[in-house]
Amino acid sequence: MAAREKLGFLRQRFGAAIVRADLTSDRRLYVFVEPRSVKEVCRALFRELDARYVITIGADDRPWSGCFMVAHNFAFDRDQLLVSVMCLLPADSPRIETISDVVPAANWAEREMRDLVGIEAVGHPYPKRLVLPDGWPDGLHPLRKDVEWNEAPDFEDDGAGYDFDDPPEGCTVVPFGPFHPTLDEPAHFRLYVEGEIVRGCEYRGFMVHRGIEKLAESVLGYNDIPIMAERICGICGCVHNVAYAQSVEEAVALRPPPRAEYIRTIMLELERLHSHLLWVGLACHIVGFDTLFMQAFRVREPVMWIAEKISGNRKTYGLCVIGGVRWDITPELGDELETVLDKLESEWHSVARAVKNDKNIQRRTCGVGVADGAVVKEMGLIGPVARAAGVDIDCRRDHPYAAYDRVGFRVITAQSADVWGRLVVRTDEVFESISIIRQCLAKLEPGPIQTPIKEDLPAGRFGLSSVEAPRGESHHFVITGENNRPRRWRVRAPTYQNLQGVPAMIRDAQLADMTIALGSIDPCFSCTDRIESVDVRSGAVKVWTPRELRDMAKRAQSGRDVKDS
Amino acid sequence: MGMSWFWATIGCIFNAALVLVLAPLFEGILRKVTARVQSRKGPPLLQPYYDLFKLLGKEDIESGETPWAQRFAAWLSMGVVLAAVCFVPMGFRAPLGGAGDALVLIYLLMLGGLCTLMAGLAAGSTYSLLGMSREMMLMITLEPLFAVAMIVGAVHANSLRLDAVLGGAVYEGRFGVSGLLMLAVSMASFQALVQRVPFDIPEAETEIMEGPLSEYSGPKLALFKWARMAKLVVYAALFVALFVPWGSGLPFPVGLGLFWCKVLVLVLLVTLVAATHARYRVDQAVRYFGGMLVIAVVALILATYGY
Repeated sequence: MAAREKLGFLRQRFGAAIVRADLTSDRRLYVFVEPRSVKEVCRALFRELDARYVITIGADDRPWSGCFMVAHNFAFDRDQLLVSVMCLLPADSPRIETISDVVPAANWAEREMRDLVGIEAVGHPYPKRLVLPDGWPDGLHPLRKDVEWNEAPDFEDDGAGYDFDDPPEGCTVVPFGPFHPTLDEPAHFRLYVEGEIVRGCEYRGFMVHRGIEKLAESVLGYNDIPIMAERICGICGCVHNVAYAQSVEEAVALRPPPRAEYIRTIMLELERLHSHLLWVGLACHIVGFDTLFMQAFRVREPVMWIAEKISGNRKTYGLCVIGGVRWDITPELGDELETVLDKLESEWHSVARAVKNDKNIQRRTCGVGVADGAVVKEMGLIGPVARAAGVDIDCRRDHPYAAYDRVGFRVITAQSADVWGRLVVRTDEVFESISIIRQCLAKLEPGPIQTPIKEDLPAGRFGLSSVEAPRGESHHFVITGENNRPRRWRVRAPTYQNLQGVPAMIRDAQLADMTIALGSIDPCFSCTDRIESVDVRSGAVKVWTPRELRDMAKRAQSGRDVKDS
Repeated sequence: MGMSWFWATIGCIFNAALVLVLAPLFEGILRKVTARVQSRKGPPLLQPYYDLFKLLGKEDIESGETPWAQRFAAWLSMGVVLAAVCFVPMGFRAPLGGAGDALVLIYLLMLGGLCTLMAGLAAGSTYSLLGMSREMMLMITLEPLFAVAMIVGAVHANSLRLDAVLGGAVYEGRFGVSGLLMLAVSMASFQALVQRVPFDIPEAETEIMEGPLSEYSGPKLALFKWARMAKLVVYAALFVALFVPWGSGLPFPVGLGLFWCKVLVLVLLVTLVAATHARYRVDQAVRYFGGMLVIAVVALILATYGY
């Protein structure tokens, strides 16, 4: 019903500007809009109907429609509805008016769209490169269909570095990253600091972008991609694995059997458990409380063992294929999992008590890294960051998938909007996850774990899927295609939105609070970096320059044997 | 006269050697106990010795803005601790002593903090400078605390000689208010005096990457680390001599044993506090010590009026 209502509103308001609308179900709405009205439609959705901004997708659709395609995705969390505002742009002039001035949360996505697909967001408030390195040649957009997947342009950026903004007057620059003990992955914040107070910052990331989307769209097949998707993130990989499979299944109207849905739910919650346990430990470590860090990791370890016993791996479970899952949970494994959960629950009670009653942790986290409801709305923040600010959203309840509509759980919220709130939310979510897994194990009915697929999957269909990762909503968008692979697959990991809220969180804060404020979004940089990494031999004395690495990559792709690399 | 100089020199060397040899052992105990609290096995008891030997054997790399100052800061930090050791009784009479040596000791302890400042300046990197400014903020509020404790003792003893100040003079033999206040203040700030969590703010690995020490490596780092371990022993010994001297006067093996037992208990206390606390932010710490300083000054005023 909600979908029809929103469509009715848009039709009435914008009339002929609404070119076409696909209502694939009550929970999905794809509206094709005249390019010149896109901004106003987005404004109406975001400001008047109070939709939540999810992501913007650019696609090179020239081989099929002769056009470029742009989609702005929004969510109505109360109505279980995801809306995609789409438009086609002429091939010779891929330009569209920016929505970042109306929807600030679209800032990164529009810059990425310009970098990777070459669709210009005209009038963007901060039109700096986001994903591509500064030396990358203009006009070469990796996600265009006429660019080969292994294209490696010859460009000179050695020593040129990044083109940074000037710091405000009276501030010194403190470089935070690309390598820092509390950053597990490379990301660079240039902090503008006055004494010990942070006045602002500039973020440069995407240093290890691996081109996973490009690979999927050009080399891999439908059932290879889940395995690749899982490697987007080392912590919440299963989330991407499931989200991808679900978006394809939705696009081609394929429903996995109930048993597969329960197994997916169990593994997603198992992943949340180990992720939250890890985070609480890391948060304690960041504020110098190493005892709780060690205890959290000790409590977490059995979760990793049982995951290995079930799936064969501590992480990267290799769970999904299109239409089901790859392996089953036997009754014996189910019993063992119950035992692990019982032990975990009692142990987590004591860790949670220790964390919540610790005055020092409170002193270091209360009122730190504040992102209130307004920031959450403007920057599209999600997950524990949003819930800690009293914004009651959770995809498991709001956009139910897998077996979440058949289990009961509480969505934990807090009101303090600071690091403390996020700590409390995550600590308590652990108990909900334990309860969800228990319910799933009880309800796990016998039956097949895969829906057989007899024919080729139809091309040109759209699929959306939002999965609640431990850090927030992971959103996948798929356009199905020919040759057993999608035409376009866009991953929006939660950190992609939450990182954009960090500058607001650390403004006018103590420098000492920077690490815990950043840590409080549970950042996962590999999730945002989805494109080129080259392994350098460990132990080798030689230091590789970027040019040498590039040359080595080229030799490798031209088919010559490159030893050990 | 000549003979007493000779014995004083021997005593100084003995004291310094004793502290240098024992300090890594105490550090080892500290690490082992910490590991137990954290459900870990922990490194071997002698690991700190191995660490120091390894660092001392490494290449001595010149780095930072002014390498000579960096080298000097490392040597000075060790030198200061070794000099202080000569004035502190380690279960027996201190080898050096004389009129006003209480003041010398106060200055020496303050000089220890200055070494960190110099190290930070010499490295000249953003993080080391940040660590330096934090150290400076802490020093201003922290260093007077121990000085006041000594002066309270000095006022009661009517002397600036250490051997008069130590040995329970802070209580003036009848547990005066000022003495007890200073005991509380010194207990509450002891963790910071020996640079341990929750007051390891100038180093704060997860925030500013070891701050002033970030540019140190090899032998120079070994000196800093060794000095820090020794500092724990020296401060603990001072604390024991100043506030819990009872039993030290017993005949030779018993008094000495009791003294080191008390030092060990204090080290264990430091370990437990470090293992169960999150780090303070520098502004929170400064406010905390500010409060302590007010109490200390009140104690000093009380002491001058004989309470």
